[in-house]
Amino acid sequence: MLRRRFLQAIPVSALGLEPRYKIVTSFSPAAQPGMPGLFPGAVVSVHSEKSIDADTEKVDASVVAEMMARGMRALTGERDTRDAWRRFFGPADVVGIKVNCSGAPNIMSTPEVVAEICRNLIAVGVKPSQIYIYERFLDQMESVNYPRYVPAGVQIHTVEKPRGSIANYDPKTYVEVNFFGEEDTRSNMVRLITERFTKIINVPNMKDHGASGVTGCLKNIAYGSFSNVARSHSGAKTETLSFIGTLASVEPLRSRTVLHIMDGLRGVWHGGPFSPTRRFRFYPKRMMFGTDPVAIDRLLLDIIDNKRKAEGAISVWDRSMDRVKPGSRPDADPNINRFVREPGHIGYAAGLGLGTYDLKKIRVENIEI
Amino acid sequence: MLLLALAAILPGLFWEQGTGTAPSLEKAGIKRIYVPAALADAWRAAGFDAVPVDDATRSRYQSAQPPGVQWQVNTASATRTPWIDANGWQFIRKPRAAWWYELPAGAAALAAAEAFAYGVDAVLRIDPADLEPLGRMLTFLRSVDGPALPALTNITVVDDNSPELDEVLNMLARRNLLFRVASAPDPSSDLNLRPGPDAADPVLFAVKARQQLTDERRLVRIYGSDTVLVRLAGDGTRARVHLLNYAQRPVEGLRVRVRGIYKTGVLHVPETEGAALADYAASDGATEFTVPRLEVYAVIDLNR
Repeated sequence: MLRRRFLQAIPVSALGLEPRYKIVTSFSPAAQPGMPGLFPGAVVSVHSEKSIDADTEKVDASVVAEMMARGMRALTGERDTRDAWRRFFGPADVVGIKVNCSGAPNIMSTPEVVAEICRNLIAVGVKPSQIYIYERFLDQMESVNYPRYVPAGVQIHTVEKPRGSIANYDPKTYVEVNFFGEEDTRSNMVRLITERFTKIINVPNMKDHGASGVTGCLKNIAYGSFSNVARSHSGAKTETLSFIGTLASVEPLRSRTVLHIMDGLRGVWHGGPFSPTRRFRFYPKRMMFGTDPVAIDRLLLDIIDNKRKAEGAISVWDRSMDRVKPGSRPDADPNINRFVREPGHIGYAAGLGLGTYDLKKIRVENIEI
Repeated sequence: MLLLALAAILPGLFWEQGTGTAPSLEKAGIKRIYVPAALADAWRAAGFDAVPVDDATRSRYQSAQPPGVQWQVNTASATRTPWIDANGWQFIRKPRAAWWYELPAGAAALAAAEAFAYGVDAVLRIDPADLEPLGRMLTFLRSVDGPALPALTNITVVDDNSPELDEVLNMLARRNLLFRVASAPDPSSDLNLRPGPDAADPVLFAVKARQQLTDERRLVRIYGSDTVLVRLAGDGTRARVHLLNYAQRPVEGLRVRVRGIYKTGVLHVPETEGAALADYAASDGATEFTVPRLEVYAVIDLNR
């Protein structure tokens, strides 16, 4: 046997073991945890045809501002936009904005959206220096160039410099689990979350995901706030079903993530979380607001799956092995999966108390601008 | 836990160039060298402690491979694990052997650290461009040299003289499963392994060994790098952790877990004044700390 062949790992699951999570944290839940937060089961969905030009992908910042103002007022029931933001944030807060840059520069938390969030925070007294836009990987973050859009003084923080470094993760707050026999069995929480932030705003996109089915609020806040998470995929199998919700439920991440603003100006209906070509991009021109990540993601599931059906692609729920080709290009045939997808991760997270999964119990307010 | 005596031996440099290069050696702080027998007198006359090496001498050394990492970007691997070329496993199997490194450029400092960490007698034939980095590493090794502490292990591998044993040991070392090799099982070990037919697949053998031992009983764990291997030595009151980074790039924020409670820890790294361990914690039967930056080699001294 060649020595190189020795390196092919043997999945622990193949040896008859299931994931067993050990959560290590010294933080207790807040009296009112951020997830599902102040408005469990509530989603405000704001659509504007004018928000982005589907041909040029140019974003209209003034329309984005209007969408955000209307969405936040509807979510909170406040008549004044600043009062709506004050329901969540005050001058003493240090706010992390979890953007999503995994598909950058073609799809990401839109800079105009992130800039408008910053402006609203500043309007309620949060100093720019107390606002941190954060993401894990430097190359992805730099490809967006947020500093060009956001108010001066807002901090841009990349966690892994260089990629793989765990220096900016908290060594005392982590989830330990052995999925596939990997040597490093810990996923540590971003240190800023445990040591600096008092609140977090989650800004995911509307995207298909080759492993988790879709990637929305839960996937963005979970996999974007911990180290060493790619180990949850191997061959055709992914452990995203339980790992995403487990990570999202760890304190203080759960308590401090108080608001989700899903940026669906652009979307990806296949090949996500990446978007190297426009072939699988689409333009929902929609933003969703809420404190309940499960409820928003439940709606996202249907948005992505309906789009896939309209394009003649298999459902995100398809688990047939003859459709799975591990290692295939993510942007190739939309009827081929790289992994057996796990869209059930959203329902799993509901079971952990992170939100409402039952469509009958989700209250959606649609706003057209 | 079984103990193996470590000898505090500094690796030697094999230098084939003439005494005209003496200033370079002196600048690197190297005064003791191994030289071709024909050059020995001249080097001694130049004030060096020169050890002659002839063919007969050379034949007494066993070959150590150049240490390093082979990244496998095109090889499917569930854990994306790079291949590490390391010699610790064979140093453990043959503790009384003397070793000879033939090293490409860039590998001298790591090779010196590796040989020192395992306490073996080693000679390094280097690329001359590595003279200064080697000199700096040897200076550091001298600064942390001291009475040898016995190796700490909790796995005994019974040597059945099978051809598969080498790769089994390599895979155990690769996973930082700390072992000794013996002719018979040791009841005091947490785990005794007989290679047997299972050794035909050394990776699976190591995976099973890890499962049988359990991660909780491992003497050491590494988080934040898959290119760092550990050598652990100690006695009842103290322990020394040797960290060897086989990659050509530094590791930042390396987290280390050592079984056992140690109240204090001191970090030693080459060429860094005031380096200190971070986020030190000792509880629940283990001690954990972070090494802020690991270039090639670090030594951590722990005390109960």
